Amino acid sequence: MISQELKKVILTELNLDDFDLQDETMAPEVPGWDSLNHINIILAVEKSFNVKFKSYEVLRLKNVGDLQKLVDLKTGK
Amino acid sequence: MNNIGNNSPGDSAKDPAGQGKTLWERWQANAEKNPDREAIVHWVAGEEPMRWTYKNLIETAKKYSVKAREAGIKKGDVCAIVMHHNLFFYPLYLGISRMGALPAVLAYPNPRLHPDKFRQGIEGMAQRSGLDYILTERELDPVIHPLIEKPGSTIKSVFFPLDWNIENDIDPKSDAEIELIALSVREDEPILLQHSSGTTGLQKPVILSHRAVLNHTHNLGKALKLSDSDKVVSWLPLYHDFGLIACFQIPLAYGITTIQINPFEWVLAPILLLEAITKEKGTLTCLPNFAYNVLAEKIHDDELSDISLESLRLVINGAEPVRHDSHIKFTEKFVKYRFNPLALTVLYGMAEVSLCLTLTDPGKPIKELILDRNELSHGVMKFADENSVKRVSVSCGKLIDGCDARIVDENRKDVEDGIVGEVAVKSVSMFDGYRNYPEKTAEVVENGWYFTGDWGFRYQNEFFIIGRKKDLIIVAGKNIYPEDIEDALNQVDGIIPGRVISFGEEDEQMGTEQIAVVAEIKDETEIGKNKIRMDILRAGMAIDVNIHKVYLVPPRWLIKSSAGKPSRNANKERILSREDKQVWSR
Repeated sequence: MISQELKKVILTELNLDDFDLQDETMAPEVPGWDSLNHINIILAVEKSFNVKFKSYEVLRLKNVGDLQKLVDLKTGK
Repeated sequence: MNNIGNNSPGDSAKDPAGQGKTLWERWQANAEKNPDREAIVHWVAGEEPMRWTYKNLIETAKKYSVKAREAGIKKGDVCAIVMHHNLFFYPLYLGISRMGALPAVLAYPNPRLHPDKFRQGIEGMAQRSGLDYILTERELDPVIHPLIEKPGSTIKSVFFPLDWNIENDIDPKSDAEIELIALSVREDEPILLQHSSGTTGLQKPVILSHRAVLNHTHNLGKALKLSDSDKVVSWLPLYHDFGLIACFQIPLAYGITTIQINPFEWVLAPILLLEAITKEKGTLTCLPNFAYNVLAEKIHDDELSDISLESLRLVINGAEPVRHDSHIKFTEKFVKYRFNPLALTVLYGMAEVSLCLTLTDPGKPIKELILDRNELSHGVMKFADENSVKRVSVSCGKLIDGCDARIVDENRKDVEDGIVGEVAVKSVSMFDGYRNYPEKTAEVVENGWYFTGDWGFRYQNEFFIIGRKKDLIIVAGKNIYPEDIEDALNQVDGIIPGRVISFGEEDEQMGTEQIAVVAEIKDETEIGKNKIRMDILRAGMAIDVNIHKVYLVPPRWLIKSSAGKPSRNANKERILSREDKQVWSR
C-alpha cells in the first residue's frame, strides 16, 4: 500500500494532480516518469523522508511498492 | 585547415598493428598479437564483471558466424540486433560482420513504448534500410513476428541467437568457407549500418565502410593519443554512434580494452561508471553533456569514498551541446576524487562522418569565449563587454586529420571567421550516403561536402557550435525529430488538428534540453486543459518520448511560417518570452 506522503512526493515531482499509484505500478506507466526524472524523484523522496538510499538499493527497485518498502525500512516503520 | 587531399584513405587506414583491410582482419590481427589481452569487460551491477579476451572473442564470433550462416544469413544482408545488455552480444556482432553481413544495433523497446509504435519504427526502418533479419530475444517474438507475415515485408525471419548452441566445436569446413567470404570483403564494402536519429519513419540509415571506420580509428586514435595502455569505460548505448564507434568499434580496432556498462543500469545508478573507472583503471570515457550534471549532482558523497578518478586521462563531451556550467560542476565535485580537470575534452561530429570531426587538444585547457549573446543571435561573434548579456561558448576543438570543414551562408558560400553559418564537412571517414534514400542524400551532400544543419563559427582554427538549422531536439544525447512528436499529438482529442509544435527547451539543472509542446485548443476550462495535458503526456509516452512542458494556447495563436505551417522557431521565441497571458502552461 502506497502511503499518501510518498504518493504526494512523487506526484509533486512529476507535476501531476493525481495518478493511481499502486504497489505494482512501474515507472514507465506513469506520465513523466522517465530515467532522467527517476533520479529527481529518488532525491525528492530522500529529502522528504530525511533518508539516504544507496545506488544499489535504487537499482533493485522494480515498482512503487518496492520504493515504499525501502522508505519504510529506512524510516523504521 | 586540414587538407584531406594530403591524407589519402589508404595511408590513413594504416593501423597500429599494421594489418587488416577490413575490421574482421583487424580484430583477428589484434587477437593474434595479444590473444590474452582483454577486449571487452562486460559490466553488470553488483556482479563480478565478465571478460572477453581477444582470442576468446574471435573464437566465439566464429561460432556465431557459422550459426548465422546455417540460419540463412548471407553477405550483404542487413541484420538488426535488438538485445538487452548481454555478454554474447559482442561475439554475435563480430560474427555477423565476419560474414560480410551488416549489423545494425537497435534500441531495445522501453516498456512505455506501445508495441504498435515499436513495430511502426521497425517497419519504417525496414522500408528504408532494407532490413533482412532481426536478431533478438524470445520475449519480443510476439511483437516482431507479425512484421514478417505482412505483405511486402523485407524482413525474412526473426532469430533468437541467445538460444543458439555455441558450446560445441564448429564444423571446420563451414568455418573455412566463411573465412574465405570474410577475406573476400573489400575495404570499400560496408561494415555496419547505424541510424542517425528519429523514432519512426524519419530515421536516416547511415552505411559506413570498413575503410571509413579504419580511417577513423587511425585519425581519431592519433588525435586522442591512444596507446596500448588505454582502457575505455562506457555506459553509452550501442545503437548510438558515440557508444558504437567511440566506445566499441575504435577500441576493438585499436586492440585495447573497452568496459561496457548496461545503459539501463547506469541511468538508475550513475555511480556504476565511477566504480568501473576506479576498479578497471579506465583512462577514457565519453559522456553526453547531461551526464556531467547527473554525476556531479545526483550521487551522495558518502557513496564516493572508494572512488578514484586518477587514471582518467580523457573525459570526452559529445552528442549534445556542450555547456560550460556542466564542466565546472563536474570538476568541482570530482577534483577531490583525484580527477584531473585537464582531462576534460570536447568532440564534435556526427554519424555521417563515422563520428568525429573536431576535438579539443587532449590534456590542454578547453578554449571558452565569453560572447555577446545578442550579437551572436544575429550571427556575429563579438566578445562581451560590460553592457552585454553574456554567453559562454565552449570550443569543440580543431579538425582531426582526414577532416575538413567550412562555415557557409544560406547560399553555401564561405563566410569569414567569427561569422555564424552552417557547418559543412568532408572526411575520409564519410558515409556513402543514406541507404535507399538518394533524395535525402542529395539534399545534404554537394560536391563531396556534407551540410550538417548545425550552426557555428570558426575562431583561431577552432570550431564553436551554437545551434542547429534543423529543428532537431537533443534530450540527454538522444536525437528526436519534432515531427515525430507532432504527428503523435495530432491524434489527441481537443487539439486543433495540425496546430501543434514541439521544440527543445533548455533545462539548466539537468544540462540538457527537454521537450516542450505548444498546442492550440478551444477548451477554456481548467479541467479541460488539464485533461488535454494528460492526454498529451500519454501520447508522448506511447512513442517513448517524455514531454516535459505543455503550453496550451487559444485558436489562431501560433505564428505561421511562409509555408503556412506553424513555425517552430517563431513560436518557441514567443513562448519563451513569457509575455502572453493567454498561454496556459504546466
